[in-house]
Amino acid sequence: MTKLNRWSNIFNWLAVIALAINLLMVFFYAPVELTMGNVQRIFYFHVGSAWVGAVTLGIALICGVLYLYRPKPLYDILGMASVEIGVVFVTMTIVAGSVWGRPAWNTWWTWSPRLTSITVMWLVYVAYFMLRGAVEDEQKRARFAAVYVIAAFITVIMTYVSIRLLRDIHPVVFGDAVEGVQAGAEGLQEFSGVDSIRMVLTLNVSVVAFSLLYVAWLLNRYRLQLLINRANMLKARVAARMQGDSLSVADAEEMRPATTD
Amino acid sequence: MIQIKGLTKQYGLTTVLRGVNLHVREGEFVTLVGSNGAGKSTLLRIVATLLKPSGGEVTIGGWPLPSHAHNVRRHIGLVSHHALLYGDMTAAENLMFFARLYGIDNREEVVSTALKRVGLTARRRDAVRTFSRGMVQRLTIARATLHEPDVLLLDEPFTGLDQDASALLNRLLLREHEIGRTILLITHDLIRGISLSDRVAILNRGKIVHTVTRDDISATEFVTLYQQVVHGDHVAELPG
Amino acid sequence: MNRSGLFWTQLRALVWKDLQIERHTKQSIGIMLMFAIVAVVTFNFALENNLGAVREVAGGLLWVTILLAGTLGLNRSFASELENRPIDAMLIAPMDRSTMFMGKVISVSLFTLAMELILIPVFIAISNKPFYRPEVLLLITLGTIGYVAAGVLVSSMAVQTRANYVLVPVLLLPLSLPVVLAAATGVAQYMGLNKPPFADVSATFALVIAYDLLMLAAGLFTYNYVVEE
Repeated sequence: MTKLNRWSNIFNWLAVIALAINLLMVFFYAPVELTMGNVQRIFYFHVGSAWVGAVTLGIALICGVLYLYRPKPLYDILGMASVEIGVVFVTMTIVAGSVWGRPAWNTWWTWSPRLTSITVMWLVYVAYFMLRGAVEDEQKRARFAAVYVIAAFITVIMTYVSIRLLRDIHPVVFGDAVEGVQAGAEGLQEFSGVDSIRMVLTLNVSVVAFSLLYVAWLLNRYRLQLLINRANMLKARVAARMQGDSLSVADAEEMRPATTD
Repeated sequence: MIQIKGLTKQYGLTTVLRGVNLHVREGEFVTLVGSNGAGKSTLLRIVATLLKPSGGEVTIGGWPLPSHAHNVRRHIGLVSHHALLYGDMTAAENLMFFARLYGIDNREEVVSTALKRVGLTARRRDAVRTFSRGMVQRLTIARATLHEPDVLLLDEPFTGLDQDASALLNRLLLREHEIGRTILLITHDLIRGISLSDRVAILNRGKIVHTVTRDDISATEFVTLYQQVVHGDHVAELPG
Repeated sequence: MNRSGLFWTQLRALVWKDLQIERHTKQSIGIMLMFAIVAVVTFNFALENNLGAVREVAGGLLWVTILLAGTLGLNRSFASELENRPIDAMLIAPMDRSTMFMGKVISVSLFTLAMELILIPVFIAISNKPFYRPEVLLLITLGTIGYVAAGVLVSSMAVQTRANYVLVPVLLLPLSLPVVLAAATGVAQYMGLNKPPFADVSATFALVIAYDLLMLAAGLFTYNYVVEE
């Protein structure tokens, strides 16, 4: 526990520092984009959170697979925490994208395939908590959550594949050269010269900063869950004491032998 | 046939089984009695491969559970207080379905013999929904023994049966015992437990606290013994 | 009987069992169809009986109707497994859990497709759109299979929770939307007077098939964790 405390503190500070550097770079280091102007700066926030969000949900998937393979509570907690954080990142992506869309497409929202599928993805992961909330038994809850997260990841794949296959208004940022040129044509500044290096660097720092934020949140969430578990156990123990039920909770060892002989 | 050593089962913070030890020999009829919440059903569901143990060892016919559940399943039959049958299908269709699941070859023949054995040949084309509780339970026995299992597991099979139906079920169970099946019966009915089986084990608060052989004890003595074992150290708290 | 022989016998038994129950009760298809028609009438009311508007959105309406009716079919199918718990008897039989998943997907797909067989002519009649094109029927069939695969997986979990059936639409609709969106996009492309060249619709076909395969694989691999305790 103390080791965990230390690590979460370290990552809390790392995340704060990285985000501060990132913010400074977004506003003072990255160049003003030609067509969009200053509004484009939200793009670093948007892409950073989208990228880290997808990775986070991928980690939730891995935790789910690991849990089914070997049902340890650790995997369940990490999986749940990753989904929670992933939902926050996806929400940030949608909000930032919407703010960007207003000047770029002249509307806050449009039902293009990419925007629709990320909304669907968001709904799928919010429903994850509905499922968890409906199962009382801990092991069953963890098992169902693991199965659900595996099925849910299909929507993540579909979201990130659909943009490649369906015609869309949304620009492609990560991709091959042809798509990069398309993206340039569709409104983002052509990546060329010093400006483009500065943009790419800022974007990379965003991704790193958000990744550190993810690790910090994950550790904090894990610590919180351990505390919740401990509180629950103490509560159960107190309840058992008050009922005079010496058998419950962790007192199995103290059980009295049968007195018939 | 059934070997249980130090079996434990927890649900979250609640411990249901706290180290159960039980050995059922081949062809033996053992009854497990205990009050509600003693962990009887949990124990039976673990033996029936429906639930995974938290700790300890369970082997059936030499196969360890849960790792060899697939091999064990062919050799066990289960009767529970639920019918485990489709109400919307006829008696024959139900048995036919389960015969297919077990890959039985001469299905028509096996199904009609099974129906005859439990006296339901005349109702074979009727939906199970229209059956009385006793008839359903007979059909359940037919279903559970369709694949000639070595081990028959019964979880409170007498629930909701009237006198006649219970007597008939008694006879059916004894016949299954005679043809050499190993039987593990779970009930809260002490008298029935001691009169039917070779051996009775008392399960209390997740542990087997006492075992008696039928020949050693009369039914009334057994009831007194049960009260002592289960409530012995708590008598003052209990009304009556 | 060898293992693969047993697999086919069991799979046939599972599907045949659901068909027999349907033959006796005539409920799954009946309820789905009744609901679908009520839904169509309700949509017309929402669109103010404007046939032009109905024509515009016919493809989408068809999918919404299938989605909602499909949850009812799933509920019906799982209700018969839980009354008297025959599912326990299946679980102690020497059968792979993936066989149970396949059996359920096949039978619920058959019921849903049977419902669509009647629903699609209704849509052709009210919208005068070419839903009869083989590519459209193929897309609807593929979309239905993916939707049902997700539905069986989700329903099997939902019925074991406190919230029971109520959870099914909440979990299933978002989870199945990717396949439905892709299939609906494909269907919409075929609604014009001329058939589009296959190159234009190949992407939607690819997405639908990818979803089907992924969801079936997810179900086959995880189903034993869903039904076993």
